[in-house]
Amino acid sequence: MRRYQILFLTISSCLLLLSSCAVKTVDGFEQKETALKSYTAQYFSDPAKDYVYKAQISVYGRDFGGIFIAKKINDTLYRAAFTTEFGNKLFDFEVTDNSFKVNYILEELNKKIIVNTLKRDFMLLLKKHHDVAQQYESAQNTVYKSNDGKRFNYIFTDKTSGRLSRLVNATKSKEKTIITYNAESDILAQNIVIDHKNIKLKIELNYLQQ
Amino acid sequence: MKNSIIYIFLLFAMVAGFAQEQKMSGAEATAFKNAVNATAKSTKTLTTDFVQYKHMDFLSKDIETLGKMSFKAPSMLLWQYTKPYQYSVVFKNNKISINDAGKKSAMDMGNSKMFNKLNKLIVGSVNGDMFDESEFTITFFKTTEFTITRLIPKDAALKKYIKEMELYFDKKNMVSQVKMTEPSNDYTTIVFKNKVVNAPVPDSVFNN
Repeated sequence: MRRYQILFLTISSCLLLLSSCAVKTVDGFEQKETALKSYTAQYFSDPAKDYVYKAQISVYGRDFGGIFIAKKINDTLYRAAFTTEFGNKLFDFEVTDNSFKVNYILEELNKKIIVNTLKRDFMLLLKKHHDVAQQYESAQNTVYKSNDGKRFNYIFTDKTSGRLSRLVNATKSKEKTIITYNAESDILAQNIVIDHKNIKLKIELNYLQQ
Repeated sequence: MKNSIIYIFLLFAMVAGFAQEQKMSGAEATAFKNAVNATAKSTKTLTTDFVQYKHMDFLSKDIETLGKMSFKAPSMLLWQYTKPYQYSVVFKNNKISINDAGKKSAMDMGNSKMFNKLNKLIVGSVNGDMFDESEFTITFFKTTEFTITRLIPKDAALKKYIKEMELYFDKKNMVSQVKMTEPSNDYTTIVFKNKVVNAPVPDSVFNN
């Protein structure tokens, strides 16, 4: 009996520990009944448009720049490419909601840790459909929570404009990546910041009017 | 009758097609090289505007960037993008300095073989002094408008970035266009315009 008591105490203290470490992304938000089955992201959705951005990458105190290009190829497929200012291509990926293919990556960048980070970031940035599991609300935002493998995506939309303003990729206990959008229209975010919480990596994208 | 007219027309079109790009003879190529080298040698300063077109197969249209370039012999070079973003690189005293919209950084390239090559490549692209047979396999072509030099890198490190370079020389033996093809067959074209040769260029231009 005593053994069970100890076991119970251990489990409940573990649970307490877990719940106290739970991700704070929607703290203070009110949970609502889910009104949407699936949330569809609108940025990057015009197949006639080349989405060209000046990129600033800051990684562990080192800064460098380049040009980021995203292009919707068909209903499910995106291309995501990166070049230097001079035009040399550094990488070129094919991304869908659930697949990722490297068309090209410069040998010097072809390291597992780099490719996996870029893969995660650009799959998140270009993800079109998010199945909604839960919904939260505050005065300004409606937030859709969606399952993403072992992680979760919190999709913050602005109540006034209806536009996606923030996307938080998190585990149960920690925020990992936060994407912040400043939008010019429903289909174009002119400023995007991809900020990492677990590594010192920040990518800022500013749209270039062609 | 109708068929033979079409046949003759096609024949002409083919001949015209061949005439568009004709391989130079050895003697012609040598004369051309000497002329370009002489022009490059007499070029003490050079300023020019340029338009850069980045072509990628999946894009609806090429990405266009405007900029300007200043060169002062023997080795000061400013390469500056002005629109739609500000980004400039200066090669001076074996140093490369970058100004990325106000964010500055510098590197010593004294011992970097790759940067020395890059410097030589950029200067060479502008003044035409690129005929290094130990670095490139070179072929020469002529059209009515241009003399085209096609360079294929021999160096393994350079080959990773550049599959082939084409320099278009105008009739004054000045580079008017550069096309750089990547191993993936995407390419960058740079078209020079408003070129000014040997006008005074103050050293302060090369402060980045």
